[in-house]
Amino acid sequence: MATDFGRTCPLTPRIRGLYRLRMTKTEYLAEYDGIVKTVQMYIDGSKQGKSELMRPAFHPDASFFGYAGEQLAVGTQFLFDWIDKNGPAPKIEPRVVSVDILDSIAVVRLEVAGWSGKLAGSGVRMSDLFTLLKTPSGWKIIQKAFHWHVAESSLAA
Amino acid sequence: MPERNTPQKTLESWKQIAAYLERSERTVRRWEATEGLPVHRREHERQDTVFAYRHEIEAWSRLRTKSPGAIPSEDAGSLAPAKPVANAYLTEHDAITRTMHCYIAGARAGDGDLMRSAFHPFATISGYCQGVEYSGSVEHVFQWVTENGPAPNINPRFARIEIIESIAVVHLEVQRWSGKLAGANARASDVFTLLKWNGEWKITHKLFHWHDQ
Repeated sequence: MATDFGRTCPLTPRIRGLYRLRMTKTEYLAEYDGIVKTVQMYIDGSKQGKSELMRPAFHPDASFFGYAGEQLAVGTQFLFDWIDKNGPAPKIEPRVVSVDILDSIAVVRLEVAGWSGKLAGSGVRMSDLFTLLKTPSGWKIIQKAFHWHVAESSLAA
Repeated sequence: MPERNTPQKTLESWKQIAAYLERSERTVRRWEATEGLPVHRREHERQDTVFAYRHEIEAWSRLRTKSPGAIPSEDAGSLAPAKPVANAYLTEHDAITRTMHCYIAGARAGDGDLMRSAFHPFATISGYCQGVEYSGSVEHVFQWVTENGPAPNINPRFARIEIIESIAVVHLEVQRWSGKLAGANARASDVFTLLKWNGEWKITHKLFHWHDQ
Protein backbone atom coordinates (compact mmCIF):
# COMPACT_ATOMS: atom_id res chain seq x y z
CA MET A 1 0.00 0.00 0.00
CA ALA A 2 1.43 3.35 -1.02
CA THR A 3 1.88 5.67 1.93
CA ASP A 4 2.34 8.88 -0.03
CA PHE A 5 -1.16 10.39 -0.33
CA GLY A 6 -0.24 12.42 -3.39
CA ARG A 7 0.74 9.24 -5.12
CA THR A 8 -2.25 7.27 -3.96
CA CYS A 9 -4.69 9.88 -5.22
CA PRO A 10 -3.03 12.17 -7.77
CA LEU A 11 -5.60 14.91 -7.31
CA THR A 12 -5.17 18.30 -5.78
CA PRO A 13 -5.34 17.82 -2.04
CA ARG A 14 -7.43 20.56 -0.52
CA ILE A 15 -6.52 19.92 3.07
CA ARG A 16 -3.45 17.78 3.54
CA GLY A 17 -3.31 15.96 6.80
CA LEU A 18 -5.14 18.64 8.77
CA TYR A 19 -8.41 16.86 8.91
CA ARG A 20 -9.01 13.22 9.57
CA LEU A 21 -12.50 11.89 9.38
CA ARG A 22 -13.83 10.06 12.34
CA MET A 23 -15.32 7.16 10.48
CA THR A 24 -15.67 4.70 13.29
CA LYS A 25 -18.07 6.54 15.60
CA THR A 26 -20.28 8.48 13.26
CA GLU A 27 -23.33 9.74 15.00
CA TYR A 28 -26.06 9.24 12.48
CA LEU A 29 -28.50 11.87 13.71
CA ALA A 30 -25.83 14.56 13.92
CA GLU A 31 -24.70 13.82 10.36
CA TYR A 32 -28.26 13.69 9.08
CA ASP A 33 -29.16 17.00 10.69
CA GLY A 34 -25.95 18.59 9.38
CA ILE A 35 -26.85 17.52 5.84
CA VAL A 36 -30.45 18.76 6.07
CA LYS A 37 -29.21 22.07 7.52
CA THR A 38 -27.00 22.57 4.46
CA VAL A 39 -29.84 21.75 2.08
CA GLN A 40 -32.09 24.14 4.03
CA MET A 41 -29.71 26.99 3.09
CA TYR A 42 -30.42 26.18 -0.55
CA ILE A 43 -34.17 26.20 0.16
CA ASP A 44 -33.98 29.52 2.04
CA GLY A 45 -32.03 31.15 -0.78
CA SER A 46 -34.52 29.81 -3.34
CA LYS A 47 -37.52 31.04 -1.37
CA GLN A 48 -36.15 34.54 -0.90
CA GLY A 49 -34.46 34.79 -4.29
CA LYS A 50 -31.11 35.57 -2.65
CA SER A 51 -28.12 33.53 -3.77
CA GLU A 52 -26.05 34.90 -0.86
CA LEU A 53 -28.11 32.74 1.51
CA MET A 54 -27.25 29.53 -0.32
CA ARG A 55 -23.65 30.23 -1.35
CA PRO A 56 -22.19 29.02 1.99
CA ALA A 57 -23.91 25.64 1.43
CA PHE A 58 -21.77 24.99 -1.64
CA HIS A 59 -18.24 23.62 -1.80
CA PRO A 60 -15.77 25.95 -3.61
CA ASP A 61 -15.36 23.29 -6.33
CA ALA A 62 -19.08 22.54 -6.60
CA SER A 63 -20.59 21.84 -9.99
CA PHE A 64 -24.11 22.31 -11.29
CA PHE A 65 -25.83 20.50 -14.15
CA GLY A 66 -29.25 20.29 -15.73
CA TYR A 67 -31.50 21.39 -18.55
CA ALA A 68 -33.21 24.75 -18.44
CA GLY A 69 -35.58 24.14 -21.31
CA GLU A 70 -33.44 23.02 -24.24
CA GLN A 71 -30.30 24.62 -22.87
CA LEU A 72 -27.82 22.74 -20.72
CA ALA A 73 -27.04 24.89 -17.68
CA VAL A 74 -23.57 24.31 -16.25
CA GLY A 75 -21.74 25.84 -13.27
CA THR A 76 -22.82 27.16 -9.87
CA GLN A 77 -22.53 30.75 -11.13
CA PHE A 78 -25.41 30.02 -13.49
CA LEU A 79 -27.47 28.83 -10.50
CA PHE A 80 -26.64 31.84 -8.32
CA ASP A 81 -27.40 34.31 -11.15
CA TRP A 82 -30.62 32.48 -11.89
CA ILE A 83 -31.76 32.60 -8.23
CA ASP A 84 -31.04 36.35 -8.01
CA LYS A 85 -32.77 37.14 -11.29
CA ASN A 86 -35.74 34.90 -10.53
CA GLY A 87 -36.47 36.74 -7.29
CA PRO A 88 -38.65 35.47 -4.44
CA ALA A 89 -40.52 32.18 -4.79
CA PRO A 90 -42.50 32.33 -1.54
CA LYS A 91 -44.74 29.35 -2.21
CA ILE A 92 -42.16 26.66 -2.86
CA GLU A 93 -42.94 23.38 -1.11
CA PRO A 94 -39.75 21.41 -0.58
CA ARG A 95 -39.73 17.76 0.50
CA VAL A 96 -36.70 15.64 1.32
CA VAL A 97 -37.23 12.36 -0.52
CA SER A 98 -34.04 10.63 0.60
CA VAL A 99 -30.85 11.18 2.57
CA ASP A 100 -28.14 8.58 2.10
CA ILE A 101 -24.92 8.84 4.05
CA LEU A 102 -21.77 6.84 3.22
CA ASP A 103 -19.18 7.96 5.77
CA SER A 104 -17.76 11.12 4.20
CA ILE A 105 -20.19 11.46 1.30
CA ALA A 106 -23.96 11.80 1.01
CA VAL A 107 -26.77 12.00 -1.54
CA VAL A 108 -29.98 13.97 -1.02
CA ARG A 109 -32.96 13.91 -3.31
CA LEU A 110 -35.21 16.93 -2.96
CA GLU A 111 -38.53 17.54 -4.64
CA VAL A 112 -39.66 21.13 -4.83
CA ALA A 113 -43.18 21.95 -5.96
CA GLY A 114 -44.71 25.39 -6.43
CA TRP A 115 -41.70 27.15 -7.94
CA SER A 116 -42.48 30.66 -9.11
CA GLY A 117 -40.66 33.84 -10.09
CA LYS A 118 -39.53 35.97 -13.02
CA LEU A 119 -37.65 33.09 -14.69
CA ALA A 120 -39.46 30.06 -13.27
CA GLY A 121 -42.99 31.10 -14.23
CA SER A 122 -45.56 29.59 -11.92
CA GLY A 123 -46.43 26.19 -10.49
CA VAL A 124 -43.19 24.61 -11.66
CA ARG A 125 -41.89 21.39 -10.13
CA MET A 126 -38.19 20.72 -9.79
CA SER A 127 -36.36 17.52 -8.82
CA ASP A 128 -32.91 17.99 -7.33
CA LEU A 129 -30.10 15.55 -6.66
CA PHE A 130 -27.50 16.94 -4.30
CA THR A 131 -24.25 15.15 -3.60
CA LEU A 132 -22.47 16.33 -0.49
CA LEU A 133 -19.00 16.04 0.96
CA LYS A 134 -18.15 16.26 4.64
CA THR A 135 -15.62 18.99 5.34
CA PRO A 136 -14.13 20.58 8.49
CA SER A 137 -16.72 23.35 8.15
CA GLY A 138 -19.66 20.99 7.82
CA TRP A 139 -21.42 19.21 4.98
CA LYS A 140 -21.07 21.01 1.64
CA ILE A 141 -22.91 20.52 -1.62
CA ILE A 142 -20.36 19.32 -4.18
CA GLN A 143 -22.87 18.93 -6.98
CA LYS A 144 -26.46 19.83 -7.71
CA ALA A 145 -28.16 18.15 -10.66
CA PHE A 146 -31.72 19.14 -11.43
CA HIS A 147 -34.60 18.16 -13.62
CA TRP A 148 -37.21 20.75 -14.46
CA HIS A 149 -40.59 19.09 -14.99
CA VAL A 150 -41.75 21.26 -17.87
CA ALA A 151 -44.83 19.27 -18.81
CA GLU A 152 -46.20 19.27 -15.29
CA SER A 153 -45.80 23.01 -14.96
CA SER A 154 -47.96 23.63 -18.00
CA LEU A 155 -50.57 21.20 -16.63
CA ALA A 156 -50.54 22.93 -13.27
CA ALA A 157 -51.09 26.36 -14.78
CA MET B 1 -20.85 -24.11 -17.28
CA PRO B 2 -24.03 -24.83 -19.23
CA GLU B 3 -23.94 -28.34 -20.67
CA ARG B 4 -24.84 -27.41 -24.22
CA ASN B 5 -21.78 -25.23 -24.53
CA THR B 6 -18.84 -27.56 -24.73
CA PRO B 7 -15.36 -26.18 -24.03
CA GLN B 8 -14.55 -26.22 -27.74
CA LYS B 9 -17.26 -23.68 -28.32
CA THR B 10 -15.79 -21.13 -25.95
CA LEU B 11 -12.98 -18.63 -26.18
CA GLU B 12 -11.06 -18.75 -22.94
CA SER B 13 -9.21 -15.43 -22.66
CA TRP B 14 -9.06 -11.87 -23.96
CA LYS B 15 -6.28 -13.07 -26.24
CA GLN B 16 -8.49 -15.75 -27.79
CA ILE B 17 -11.48 -13.42 -28.11
CA ALA B 18 -9.28 -10.79 -29.77
CA ALA B 19 -7.76 -13.34 -32.13
CA TYR B 20 -11.20 -14.66 -33.05
CA LEU B 21 -12.42 -11.17 -33.96
CA GLU B 22 -9.05 -10.30 -35.54
CA ARG B 23 -8.67 -7.20 -33.40
CA SER B 24 -6.41 -6.11 -30.53
CA GLU B 25 -7.21 -7.04 -26.94
CA ARG B 26 -7.76 -3.38 -26.19
CA THR B 27 -10.34 -3.07 -28.95
CA VAL B 28 -12.36 -6.05 -27.78
CA ARG B 29 -12.27 -4.79 -24.19
CA ARG B 30 -13.64 -1.49 -25.45
CA TRP B 31 -16.33 -3.32 -27.40
CA GLU B 32 -17.38 -5.08 -24.23
CA ALA B 33 -17.60 -1.77 -22.42
CA THR B 34 -19.32 0.32 -25.04
CA GLU B 35 -20.96 -1.98 -27.56
CA GLY B 36 -22.20 -4.89 -25.54
CA LEU B 37 -19.73 -7.55 -26.74
CA PRO B 38 -20.91 -10.60 -24.77
CA VAL B 39 -18.05 -11.53 -22.44
CA HIS B 40 -18.59 -13.66 -19.34
CA ARG B 41 -16.58 -14.00 -16.16
CA ARG B 42 -15.72 -16.82 -13.81
CA GLU B 43 -14.90 -15.78 -10.28
CA HIS B 44 -11.85 -17.37 -8.71
CA GLU B 45 -10.01 -16.99 -5.43
CA ARG B 46 -6.98 -15.31 -6.97
CA GLN B 47 -8.01 -13.86 -10.29
CA ASP B 48 -11.23 -13.80 -12.26
CA THR B 49 -11.08 -15.15 -15.81
CA VAL B 50 -13.04 -14.14 -18.86
CA PHE B 51 -14.58 -16.35 -21.50
CA ALA B 52 -16.98 -15.97 -24.40
CA TYR B 53 -19.28 -18.29 -26.33
CA ARG B 54 -18.50 -18.38 -30.02
CA HIS B 55 -22.16 -18.44 -31.01
CA GLU B 56 -22.81 -15.30 -28.94
CA ILE B 57 -19.81 -13.53 -30.42
CA GLU B 58 -20.96 -14.48 -33.92
CA ALA B 59 -24.51 -13.24 -33.25
CA TRP B 60 -23.14 -10.00 -31.87
CA SER B 61 -20.79 -9.62 -34.81
CA ARG B 62 -23.56 -10.22 -37.37
CA LEU B 63 -25.82 -7.58 -35.86
CA ARG B 64 -22.98 -5.14 -35.52
CA THR B 65 -22.21 -5.48 -39.22
CA LYS B 66 -25.85 -4.86 -40.05
CA SER B 67 -26.05 -1.64 -38.07
CA PRO B 68 -22.60 -0.32 -37.10
CA GLY B 69 -22.43 0.95 -33.55
CA ALA B 70 -25.80 -0.47 -32.59
CA ILE B 71 -26.27 -2.81 -29.67
CA PRO B 72 -27.35 -6.25 -30.93
CA SER B 73 -31.01 -6.75 -30.17
CA GLU B 74 -32.42 -9.80 -31.96
CA ASP B 75 -30.38 -12.96 -32.33
CA ALA B 76 -28.61 -12.49 -29.02
CA GLY B 77 -31.89 -12.87 -27.16
CA SER B 78 -30.29 -14.89 -24.38
CA LEU B 79 -28.01 -12.02 -23.37
CA ALA B 80 -29.35 -9.75 -20.68
CA PRO B 81 -27.69 -6.50 -21.81
CA ALA B 82 -28.70 -6.95 -25.43
CA LYS B 83 -32.33 -7.95 -24.90
CA PRO B 84 -34.78 -5.57 -26.57
CA VAL B 85 -36.95 -3.70 -24.13
CA ALA B 86 -40.26 -2.04 -24.86
CA ASN B 87 -40.52 -0.35 -21.49
CA ALA B 88 -39.06 3.15 -21.44
CA TYR B 89 -37.86 2.79 -17.87
CA LEU B 90 -35.92 -0.38 -18.67
CA THR B 91 -34.37 1.28 -21.72
CA GLU B 92 -33.03 4.13 -19.60
CA HIS B 93 -31.98 1.82 -16.77
CA ASP B 94 -30.05 -0.44 -19.16
CA ALA B 95 -28.44 2.54 -20.90
CA ILE B 96 -27.21 3.75 -17.51
CA THR B 97 -25.77 0.36 -16.57
CA ARG B 98 -24.00 0.24 -19.95
CA THR B 99 -22.36 3.58 -19.19
CA MET B 100 -21.35 2.29 -15.76
CA HIS B 101 -19.96 -0.92 -17.25
CA CYS B 102 -17.73 1.19 -19.45
CA TYR B 103 -16.31 2.76 -16.27
CA ILE B 104 -15.95 -0.68 -14.65
CA ALA B 105 -14.24 -2.16 -17.72
CA GLY B 106 -11.69 0.69 -17.72
CA ALA B 107 -11.05 0.23 -14.01
CA ARG B 108 -10.64 -3.53 -14.45
CA ALA B 109 -8.27 -3.18 -17.40
CA GLY B 110 -6.30 -0.31 -15.83
CA ASP B 111 -6.96 1.75 -18.94
CA GLY B 112 -8.17 5.30 -18.34
CA ASP B 113 -8.91 5.94 -22.01
CA LEU B 114 -11.26 2.95 -22.06
CA MET B 115 -13.61 4.64 -19.57
CA ARG B 116 -13.41 8.12 -21.06
CA SER B 117 -16.57 7.73 -23.14
CA ALA B 118 -18.60 7.10 -19.95
CA PHE B 119 -17.96 10.68 -18.78
CA HIS B 120 -19.23 14.10 -19.77
CA PRO B 121 -16.35 16.35 -20.93
CA PHE B 122 -16.94 18.69 -17.97
CA ALA B 123 -17.10 15.90 -15.40
CA THR B 124 -15.48 16.39 -12.02
CA ILE B 125 -14.48 14.20 -9.11
CA SER B 126 -14.25 14.66 -5.37
CA GLY B 127 -13.93 12.65 -2.21
CA TYR B 128 -11.68 11.43 0.53
CA CYS B 129 -8.72 9.14 0.34
CA GLN B 130 -7.15 8.21 3.66
CA GLY B 131 -8.80 11.19 5.31
CA VAL B 132 -7.49 13.72 2.80
CA GLU B 133 -9.93 15.60 0.62
CA TYR B 134 -9.37 15.70 -3.12
CA SER B 135 -11.27 17.38 -5.90
CA GLY B 136 -10.60 18.16 -9.53
CA SER B 137 -11.15 17.26 -13.14
CA VAL B 138 -12.11 13.75 -14.16
CA GLU B 139 -8.79 13.58 -16.06
CA HIS B 140 -7.27 12.70 -12.68
CA VAL B 141 -9.38 9.54 -12.61
CA PHE B 142 -8.10 8.47 -16.03
CA GLN B 143 -4.51 9.10 -14.94
CA TRP B 144 -5.03 7.29 -11.66
CA VAL B 145 -6.63 4.25 -13.29
CA THR B 146 -3.88 3.99 -15.89
CA GLU B 147 -1.13 4.37 -13.30
CA ASN B 148 -2.86 1.90 -10.99
CA GLY B 149 -2.80 -0.77 -13.68
CA PRO B 150 -5.12 -3.75 -14.03
CA ALA B 151 -7.48 -4.60 -11.18
CA PRO B 152 -8.76 -7.92 -12.58
CA ASN B 153 -10.71 -8.97 -9.48
CA ILE B 154 -12.80 -5.89 -8.84
CA ASN B 155 -16.23 -6.93 -7.80
CA PRO B 156 -18.83 -4.22 -8.39
CA ARG B 157 -22.44 -4.06 -7.23
CA PHE B 158 -25.10 -1.52 -8.05
CA ALA B 159 -26.47 -0.43 -4.68
CA ARG B 160 -28.77 2.15 -6.21
CA ILE B 161 -29.85 3.39 -9.62
CA GLU B 162 -32.33 6.25 -9.44
CA ILE B 163 -33.55 8.00 -12.56
CA ILE B 164 -35.35 11.35 -12.63
CA GLU B 165 -36.08 11.98 -16.33
CA SER B 166 -32.87 13.70 -17.52
CA ILE B 167 -30.69 13.03 -14.45
CA ALA B 168 -29.72 9.95 -12.49
CA VAL B 169 -27.73 8.87 -9.47
CA VAL B 170 -25.84 5.59 -9.22
CA HIS B 171 -24.33 4.23 -6.03
CA LEU B 172 -21.68 1.68 -6.88
CA GLU B 173 -19.92 -0.48 -4.32
CA VAL B 174 -16.65 -1.99 -5.44
CA GLN B 175 -14.70 -4.57 -3.50
CA ARG B 176 -11.38 -6.26 -4.26
CA TRP B 177 -9.80 -3.19 -5.87
CA SER B 178 -6.16 -3.85 -6.45
CA GLY B 179 -3.21 -2.32 -8.24
CA LYS B 180 -0.11 -0.20 -7.78
CA LEU B 181 -2.04 2.63 -6.12
CA ALA B 182 -5.11 0.91 -4.74
CA GLY B 183 -3.21 -1.69 -2.71
CA ALA B 184 -4.15 -5.33 -2.41
CA ASN B 185 -7.81 -5.51 -1.45
CA ALA B 186 -9.49 -2.13 -1.21
CA ARG B 187 -13.13 -1.19 -0.99
CA ALA B 188 -14.60 1.93 -2.56
CA SER B 189 -18.05 3.47 -2.38
CA ASP B 190 -18.83 5.68 -5.35
CA VAL B 191 -21.78 7.93 -6.05
CA PHE B 192 -22.08 8.94 -9.70
CA THR B 193 -24.39 11.65 -10.99
CA LEU B 194 -25.39 11.22 -14.63
CA LEU B 195 -26.97 13.44 -17.22
CA LYS B 196 -28.74 12.41 -20.39
CA TRP B 197 -26.78 14.35 -22.95
CA ASN B 198 -27.24 14.10 -26.71
CA GLY B 199 -29.27 10.95 -26.16
CA GLU B 200 -26.60 9.21 -24.06
CA TRP B 201 -26.12 8.88 -20.33
CA LYS B 202 -22.85 10.48 -19.23
CA ILE B 203 -21.28 10.70 -15.79
CA THR B 204 -20.99 14.35 -14.71
CA HIS B 205 -19.60 13.73 -11.25
CA LYS B 206 -17.91 10.94 -9.33
CA LEU B 207 -17.99 11.24 -5.56
CA PHE B 208 -15.88 8.59 -3.85
CA HIS B 209 -15.08 7.23 -0.46
CA TRP B 210 -12.20 4.79 0.03
CA HIS B 211 -12.76 2.62 3.04
CA ASP B 212 -9.90 2.20 5.49
CA GLN B 213 -8.11 -1.07 4.93
